[in-house]
Amino acid sequence: MARAAVVGADMTEFGVHDRSLQELFGEAALGAFADAGVEPSAVDAFYFGNAMGGQTENDTHLGPKLASHVGIAGVPVQRFEDACATSANAFKNAVEAVEAGIHDVVLVGGVERCTPETGKDTAEMTRIFASASHRQYEQPTGLTFPGVFALFTKRHMHEYGTTEEQLAEVAVKNHGNGALNPNAHFGKETTVEEALEGPVVADPFRLMDCCPFSDGASAVVVVSDDAADSYDEPVDVGGVGHATDVVPICDKETPHVTQAARDAASQAYDQAGTSADEMDFAEVHDCFTGAEILASEAIGFVEDGQGGAAAEEGVTARDGERPINPSGGLKAKGHPIGATGTGQIVELAEHLRGDAGERQIEGAERAVAHNLGGDAATTVVTVMEARE
Amino acid sequence: MSETLTHGEWNRAVQEGELLGQHCEECDHTQGTPKAACPYCGSTDLETVELPTEGEVYTETTINVPPEGIDERGYQVAVVQVGDARVMGRLVDQEIDIGDRVVLSGFDEDDQGNATPRFEAQ
Ligand SMILES: [Zn+2]
Repeated sequence: MARAAVVGADMTEFGVHDRSLQELFGEAALGAFADAGVEPSAVDAFYFGNAMGGQTENDTHLGPKLASHVGIAGVPVQRFEDACATSANAFKNAVEAVEAGIHDVVLVGGVERCTPETGKDTAEMTRIFASASHRQYEQPTGLTFPGVFALFTKRHMHEYGTTEEQLAEVAVKNHGNGALNPNAHFGKETTVEEALEGPVVADPFRLMDCCPFSDGASAVVVVSDDAADSYDEPVDVGGVGHATDVVPICDKETPHVTQAARDAASQAYDQAGTSADEMDFAEVHDCFTGAEILASEAIGFVEDGQGGAAAEEGVTARDGERPINPSGGLKAKGHPIGATGTGQIVELAEHLRGDAGERQIEGAERAVAHNLGGDAATTVVTVMEARE
Repeated sequence: MSETLTHGEWNRAVQEGELLGQHCEECDHTQGTPKAACPYCGSTDLETVELPTEGEVYTETTINVPPEGIDERGYQVAVVQVGDARVMGRLVDQEIDIGDRVVLSGFDEDDQGNATPRFEAQ
C-alpha cells in the first residue's frame, strides 16, 4: 500500500529570476494545483521549504506570506529549513501527516533565490552556503561547500582509484540530460576535455564539477492513498527514509560512505517493500560530480567503489542500465536550495506518468530520489511508483 | 556524570599547541571535537583526553574560491588522523597528500576567535 500519492506537480525553470520569492513560488504552486485539478480552497495544509531567505533576502516569516499569495491563507503552514534537504524534509512530513489522517490535501514545495539577483556576490553566497557546516569546528578553517564534498571525494579517489576524468564524465552526462530539460538552468552539452580545462574551485573539483547558484521554485500536491483514485494520474509514494550522520566531518566514522544516505535509502526501500534493483532510475543530489558518485553507491545503484567507473562506462546514462539524473541533476538542472527536494519529486512524477518528453526513461514504473543536506549530515530518500 | 569538554577549553588548547578530544568510556570511541554525549552510543561518560599532535592526513583539498571574509586563495584544508581521533585543520605547506605525516605547528583563527589547528609536513 502506498503511504500517500502525488496528484499534482510543477516547477519553475531553474536559473536566474528577477521575481520575488512569492511570485516565483506562486508559479510552481498554481501549476501544481492546475495539474492536480484542485482549487486552493481544497488545500488543508502547506508544508514549505526555504533554507536561506533570512540571510539572502532578509525575508524570514515566509509561510503565511506565500500561503496568502497562492490563495490558501488560514491553513496551517510549517516551514522547513534543513540546508539542501529542505523541501524533501517538508515532503516527508506532509506524507506522514496525510498518512496519519491529519490532512487530506496538502501543498508541499520550496523556493530559493541564490543568484546575484539577491544582491549577493559569489564570496557572500559562498559564506552563506558554508553556514551549513559546523560553526566551531569546520567554518574557521575556511571550508566551503565545494571543499566539503572535495574532502569526501578525495578519500574516495584514494581508496578506489576514482579519477578526475570519471568526475568529468558525470558532468558530461548530466549536461547532456539537462540539454533535454526545458526547466534546466544549463541547456548546453559539454565534453570531458572542456570540463578538465576549467578553473579549480576546490581540488579535485573544477568549475564544471560544481552545480550553479540557481533561483527557482517547485511544488507538489500530496493526498492520501485512499483519496488518490479520485484524481487523474496519481503517482504513489512508497516510502520516505530520513537519516542524519555525525557532525562535524572529522567525527564521522567513514565520511565518504555517506552513512545517512545509506540509512535513509534502506528505510525507503523497506517501507515500499522494494529494493534498489527494482528502481528504473534515480534523481540524486549531485551538488558536485563527486557527490553523485558517492550517492550512486549509497542508494545501491552501483557497488561501492564503482561509482566513477559506472559513470565512465555509461551505466548511469539515460539509456544505461542504471540511469541517474535524467533531469540533468543539480549539476545542469540547477540547485535553488529550498526548491531542490520537491524539484526531484516533480521529475520522478513526470517520468512515472510518461510525461518527461525527450528525456523520458522509457516505461519507468519505479524511481528513487536522494536529497542531501549539510556536510552529508541529512539525507532524505523517497521511493515513488506509477499507480497501476 | 563526568566532566564535559567545552568549545572554549578545546579552543584554548589549540591556541596553546594541544589537541583535546573525548574518549567514550562506554563504547571506546574517541572523537576529535567536544560533545555533551557520545555520538555513537549516547553515553555521557566521556573522558577528556589529550590527542597526539602528530598524525596522518586522512583527506584534504585546496580551496581556490574562498568565502567572504577570507582574502587568500589556495589554502589547504585537511582532516588529520591523530591517534584514534580525527581533527579538521589547515595545512601550511602546499602539496601535502593523503597518507602524509604531519605535525601540529600552530593555529589559524577566524574573526570571532574560533581557532583551527594548523599542521605542517613532518
Ligand atoms: Zn560511546
